[in-house]
Amino acid sequence: MKLYNVKLLTITCEILAQKNIIEILGKHDITGYTTYEVDGNGARGIRGQGLKTEKNVKVEVIMREEKLQDVVEEISRTLFANFAIVLYVSDVGVVRTEKF
Amino acid sequence: MEILQLIQSNLLTPIILFFLFGIIAARIKSDLKIPEAISEFLPIYLLAAIGLHGGIEMRNTGFENMLIPMLVAIGLSLLFTLNHYQILRRLGKFNIFDSYALASTYGAVGAVTFSVGLSFLKNQGVTSEGYLAAVLAVLEPVAFIMAIFLTNMAVSKQIRQKKESVSKGDTSGLDMGIQETKTKLSQVLHDSVTGKAIVILLGSIVIGYIIGEDGFSSIRIVFDEMFTGAIVIFMIEMGIIAGQRLEDIKKVGVFLTAFAIIMPTFNGIIGVLVATAMGLSLGGAVMFGLLLASASFIAAPAVLRHSIPQAKPSLYITSALGITFPYNIIILLPIMFTISTLVHSGEGSVDLFHYITKGWI
Repeated sequence: MKLYNVKLLTITCEILAQKNIIEILGKHDITGYTTYEVDGNGARGIRGQGLKTEKNVKVEVIMREEKLQDVVEEISRTLFANFAIVLYVSDVGVVRTEKF
Repeated sequence: MEILQLIQSNLLTPIILFFLFGIIAARIKSDLKIPEAISEFLPIYLLAAIGLHGGIEMRNTGFENMLIPMLVAIGLSLLFTLNHYQILRRLGKFNIFDSYALASTYGAVGAVTFSVGLSFLKNQGVTSEGYLAAVLAVLEPVAFIMAIFLTNMAVSKQIRQKKESVSKGDTSGLDMGIQETKTKLSQVLHDSVTGKAIVILLGSIVIGYIIGEDGFSSIRIVFDEMFTGAIVIFMIEMGIIAGQRLEDIKKVGVFLTAFAIIMPTFNGIIGVLVATAMGLSLGGAVMFGLLLASASFIAAPAVLRHSIPQAKPSLYITSALGITFPYNIIILLPIMFTISTLVHSGEGSVDLFHYITKGWI
């Protein structure tokens, strides 16, 4: 089976930044993503306790390399300063490349 | 003396005791916590109960007398928000974003505080005007919208100044900034008006108004008799969250700690006096004062994190939930109740004057 190389962008951030991220993805014509609620510890202390608005989410997006640069640039520029956020990129293989 | 006695007996009510218990549970690092679904459900339940009561009362009393208190409440809320901003910015030396975020947190209302207030009055055998539930709904977005508007104005002014110093004549970027501000504001307005708190509150007011006392009798057991019990369960959760944040209070600093206690006292007492002057009942004046004294800690983070992301949430959540909320429900409620009793007992204004001066000496 032939696998095609695409990029997986994973963003772990506070739940209130999720909307901003999805807006940015939308601006770059990316409509598919997966989110899930997570707990953890980081520079801003243990996250996921207490109020609902202080939880963390993980957003996973698969995209082609061409779009990756712009998306990552916009997320870093608009969100890094004010939100609890970690972002990383990995290489993944998909079967149906036309979906992304 | 009377106040102290009232505070003391208030401390021993189930609501306060369970709140303190929650704090202790968090401090000893117990794994006790209220299941998430329940702690999300309870605010909705509380608002539904508040709304239903308000609606039923409004059916009995009509809307006409609601208008003036509502407008006065909006005016005071805006005025207080501006006042908070000046104090925080000039005396507290907070940056512009933190100042506006904190100012609006303290200008906004707390629905949980409101619920505790209703139950406090019930305990004292006093009723309050039902339309205050509608005032609660209207007041919820007001302070935020103004703070966000002013923040955006200040930011676009800064951008303009920068732009002007860099290149003269090119204003396309500025127009874009103003446009962005407008969409941001309408977004905030939309989000807060369609937010779950306001929707459930207004919906319940309308339903309460339609069903009236007769229709309510079939659901009374859930929405009336269980009300205080539900608050008690929610107080465990509030206590746990407040307890987890106790360390953060050190980071809040002396100035903000003092602000978080003095401002609600000031706002609340003014609220009680203004409400009395408008002819609200003893209990109504207390609730009106509580509306102005309370700070928002459930709605505030969701709104402010989006609209003023530069502000530090640890400041406004910790001070509102960790300091002001306990202070309001434990100490300020009895104080406002005593003042309201005083000013409602005939020659109140003279009494109050003596009372305050006595307190100072």
